[in-house]
Amino acid sequence: METNMIDIIKKYLPIILVAVLFAACERDLEDLKPVPFPSNPEVFIDGFTAGLNYAAFGGSVPTAFDVDNKVTWNNSKASMRFDVPNAGDPQGAYAGGVFFTGSGRDLSGYNALTFWAKANQSAVLDLVGFGNDLGPSTYQVTISGLSVSTAWKKYIIPLPDPSKLTAERGMFFYSVGPADGKGFSFWIDELKFENLGTIAHPQFGILEGQDQTETSFVGVSKMIGGLTSIYNMPTGVNQAVNIAPAYFEFNSSAPSVATVDASGKVSVTGGPGNAVITAKVGDKTAKGSLTIQSVGVFQPAPVPTRTPDRVISIFSNAYTNVPVNYYNGYWAPYQTTLSADFAVNGDHVLHYTNFNFVGIEFSSPTINASALTHLHVDIFIPGTLTANAQIRFELVDFGSTNVTGTFTRTITPAQSQQWISLDIPFSSFSGLTRRSSLAQLIFVDVIGNIPGFYADNIYFYTEAAQPSVPLTAAPAPAHSAANVISVFSDAYAAIPGTDLTPNWGQATATSVMQIQGNNTLRMAGLNYQGIQLGTSQNVSSMGFLHIDYWTANSTQLKVFLISPGPVETAYTLTVPTNGWRSIDIPLSSFAPVNLGDVIQLKFEGNGDIYLDNIYFRRN
Amino acid sequence: MNTIKNITVHKRIPYILMIMLAAFWGCERDAFQKLEERTWQLTWSDEFDGQAGQLPDATKWAFDIGTGDGGWGNAELQTYTNSPANVSLDGGGNLVITAIQESNRFTSARIKTQGLFAQKYGRFEARLKTPYGPGMWPAFWMLGENIGTVGWPQCGEIDIMELRGQEPHIIHGTIHGPGYSGGNPVSKSYALKNGRFDFNFHLYAIEWDEDKIDFFVDDYLYQRIERKDVPGEWVYDQPFFILLNVAVGGNYVGFPTAQTPFPQKMIIDFVRVYQEAK
Repeated sequence: METNMIDIIKKYLPIILVAVLFAACERDLEDLKPVPFPSNPEVFIDGFTAGLNYAAFGGSVPTAFDVDNKVTWNNSKASMRFDVPNAGDPQGAYAGGVFFTGSGRDLSGYNALTFWAKANQSAVLDLVGFGNDLGPSTYQVTISGLSVSTAWKKYIIPLPDPSKLTAERGMFFYSVGPADGKGFSFWIDELKFENLGTIAHPQFGILEGQDQTETSFVGVSKMIGGLTSIYNMPTGVNQAVNIAPAYFEFNSSAPSVATVDASGKVSVTGGPGNAVITAKVGDKTAKGSLTIQSVGVFQPAPVPTRTPDRVISIFSNAYTNVPVNYYNGYWAPYQTTLSADFAVNGDHVLHYTNFNFVGIEFSSPTINASALTHLHVDIFIPGTLTANAQIRFELVDFGSTNVTGTFTRTITPAQSQQWISLDIPFSSFSGLTRRSSLAQLIFVDVIGNIPGFYADNIYFYTEAAQPSVPLTAAPAPAHSAANVISVFSDAYAAIPGTDLTPNWGQATATSVMQIQGNNTLRMAGLNYQGIQLGTSQNVSSMGFLHIDYWTANSTQLKVFLISPGPVETAYTLTVPTNGWRSIDIPLSSFAPVNLGDVIQLKFEGNGDIYLDNIYFRRN
Repeated sequence: MNTIKNITVHKRIPYILMIMLAAFWGCERDAFQKLEERTWQLTWSDEFDGQAGQLPDATKWAFDIGTGDGGWGNAELQTYTNSPANVSLDGGGNLVITAIQESNRFTSARIKTQGLFAQKYGRFEARLKTPYGPGMWPAFWMLGENIGTVGWPQCGEIDIMELRGQEPHIIHGTIHGPGYSGGNPVSKSYALKNGRFDFNFHLYAIEWDEDKIDFFVDDYLYQRIERKDVPGEWVYDQPFFILLNVAVGGNYVGFPTAQTPFPQKMIIDFVRVYQEAK
């Protein structure tokens, strides 16, 4: 029989070969499927499985992980030991790292990552999880605060929708800090993927499982948050699991009104109309939804046109706002007003809902509005008014005693659903005997028929000619102190011994004054004014000289850098300013000044100038 | 009202399935099951057909209400009600018993055929899905009809299915009688190696005659209790009535924890009782 078969094969071999060749030729590209990744379920059994690597997280103790041949689960050959450092360990603040493979694994046949673990004391593992691939970590799953005891016990990290896990590289990762400042050790063994029938009843949620409704406009976008996932473990208890947004498949009931992308970002695209955003994980519907009630195209508030130097702004995208404690104090127990603030194309709008009263506080520091004349506020009532409404504005001054001024404005039904721009003179606020320490603005629904409103462009201003003194402090610098050599700023330590008013025979009256609690250098009646640095500075590694300056009446202003010789070079500053102006002058502009040996600065020109945040900085 | 159906169980195919089951879950099983064929005649059943929200058929089921004596003798925490929130049809052919947590109070339901139906010997079965979570204690069980005169445990108790919610993969079949009750009954457990009893329906049954009681899960015999196995009096020669309940807490199961999900449901597809046709 065998011989016969071989004979037949020999006889027909050429034909068979030809047939094979033809078959090969006929195969087109669509038949070529990518070779699936291996589906090896084992990560660490008695040692690293093939292709497994380890990397410690930055800032963690790099030697925290080791293979242990003594303490193992079920007398196996090896386990993974992790030594969590004591607080203050110079090697690192915590133990943390990633076990990953160089190429992917197909894990779609498993629904859990499991392991046995114990510790040398009862301890909480801050974070353990799956799917950290040192890259996008798209399908990360973690458990926070996993309690382990001194006895070996099996732990399970459920994997939602394994069908997505066809090319995973991040097998396991952990991040564990000291317990009450003290280090400890824990062991993990038999780390592997399994398909368990003993985990059940997964429940997923978006927006913490709540059904929410929001009024919105074309151009508004927001992220769907509050993603939750709960599994019932083999012991019947529920376990919260943190799962990446990529497990959720988001859906919009009306993409012409609002779309939602794979990351859960909702973008309002049309309207008026409603769109309901929901999500699924695998074939399970997530609890919770977001109903977008799109009003359509948003009508923005009129853009303010007043020059910034006449304005102290509390809420506006047109100006730099002063520090505000809050835009809604949620004053218990009587306030019902909630906030649903939004932004349309980058323009932020306050939105108060369920309105009875609400307060904005700006008490750190308070606002000195003595030199100002008006409050401006734009309000918009999106609902329909059936009768006249009254909104009361209350300004509170936190001086030695609190002083409150009130102003009530009637709004007719015809004025709803459009912006109402109010310019209210301080003189119209009855009882406002003082405004040097303004700290609160309160809105009150007098009749009780305003369900909610939008507010924008809330600012104090002066109608008088341009003020001669800045109303607001210079903008706070954002550069890291390590990259700065400071001459004058509240944000950085200045060069010690620096003299802001050396007597060089100038006529200028120079002083330091406070504007909104911020030290500001004032040079009044400027002809020239030197600044003597405490010590010679080598600024050759710096890139720029930064200056914030403000002047209403100067027509000529220069700044000089000086090295011994004296060698000095001027740089011309544009004046007058319209509010605070910030400039970063390249130090190369001051050639041939010796940047390795800068000893002085000098301002020259006329008028009254205000200076702040004078410092050298790196690129 | 009950139409008598003739059905034959334990045909050859189930044997093959049982052999496979035994092969797969061989840990505490006999390698081979040889059961005599019997023909069963349906004598009583409730398929739980009806509209959603309806209470169970009052001609078949009565309620136990309240907290019983000392938490029904077991320090159970729940209060039993006859509220549709705790016990009602789901409209899809099932009865649902729901344990509800209201702050520190639990409500649930316990229904019984006492005074309405009881039978001596036969096959008693229910197809159901259990609740889960620490402290949950569902049961499909029977008591001797003479409990009112001789008391417990003299009346006898046959627990066809009990489950501790912290072990949703294990069910227990048990009898209690004089000299072997409470913490010292005749009992055996049946475990799923990689599964649970709370997310699929399973069929729980006993087959009971004058010599023995056989316990089944999905027609797999996992326990046979014969007269000689009982360390006391054999009290199973009189009619027994049926009970279904979901208890919360108690000596058998322990307290529910903060991680126990509520509400919890036992979903019962049917209860059927047969008498052997001779």
